[in-house]
Amino acid sequence: MGLGVLGIVFIIIAALYAVGVLQILTTETSGPHYKHAVLFAVLAVASFVAANFARPKTA
Amino acid sequence: MGLLQGASELFPVSSLGHAVLVPSLMHWSFKQSDPSFVPFLVLLHLGTATALLILYREQWVAIIRGFFTAAIRGQMKTDSERLSMLLLAGTIPAAVLGVFLESRIKSLFASPYEAAGFLIANGILMLGFEVLRRRAERRAALSGESRDEQEAHFTSAERISFRAAALVGACQALAFLPGISRSGITIGGGLLAGLRHEEAARFSFLLATPVILGAGILEVPQLFSKGVPVGEYLAAAGLSGIAAYASARFLLRYFRSGRLDPYGWYCIAAGLAGLALLHFSL
Repeated sequence: MGLGVLGIVFIIIAALYAVGVLQILTTETSGPHYKHAVLFAVLAVASFVAANFARPKTA
Repeated sequence: MGLLQGASELFPVSSLGHAVLVPSLMHWSFKQSDPSFVPFLVLLHLGTATALLILYREQWVAIIRGFFTAAIRGQMKTDSERLSMLLLAGTIPAAVLGVFLESRIKSLFASPYEAAGFLIANGILMLGFEVLRRRAERRAALSGESRDEQEAHFTSAERISFRAAALVGACQALAFLPGISRSGITIGGGLLAGLRHEEAARFSFLLATPVILGAGILEVPQLFSKGVPVGEYLAAAGLSGIAAYASARFLLRYFRSGRLDPYGWYCIAAGLAGLALLHFSL
């Protein structure tokens, strides 16, 4: 559950970087930051994968 | 530059260190501040990544298939599935550190003197990794065995822990320092994690592919900026790919029984020679 929520948060952050709303921790101060967006998209995927691994399995 | 980058990217001798040091020593007219320099490096990296994709094409198909199968199932059952997740665990720390730290670190340490100094440090690291490996071999009472028997005692890339994969991946961040080799540091990290030399090299090359490819693809739009001689750069990228492919084939064969020591001594010698040549302005 927690990892799934984290994944959603990462997707939102990725979208904000992609449209240029989020500027923190970037070297350029304006415009979209695709590197950061892709990174957070990857982190989102990893979170969803980890959430699926942590999910209790039915035998 | 294409041949130099392609060869030195995979050899544990630092491509960035050589890219800073060699043009300076040879008085080549490359300027890192030139707007077309980044697109040039991007294409060289894409050449290297393409070579690695071709070399490991069958493994990458299995890894990608294994990733989706394991991700959907929520369980790893095969070696390919485990390897795909280990590569994800190793890529994330490298990508996080790369996005947030790379440009800051590179801007701090871009002079040929620093590249030569870090090249010496890289050599010492390579020798240090082998000292620790020999200690592990002594502990396992393998000193009297042949190299093949010694290597057989260690494990394959699919068997390392996720923590070890993440640590090896994080080590890649050290390669933002010009002179510290990405492949050297990840091969060394793999040795510490208990991998055979050949497997450490394979894991290092597999780990490097998404990072190099991803960074390259993200920079592709810069190729279409004004004044970039795309044709010449594509030729250099082709040479870089050929050199990377040949280097990877050589290294995988070499590491069946070879060690990091010769590359460690080379880095120390090259760094010292570079410092001397720069000092005396030869």
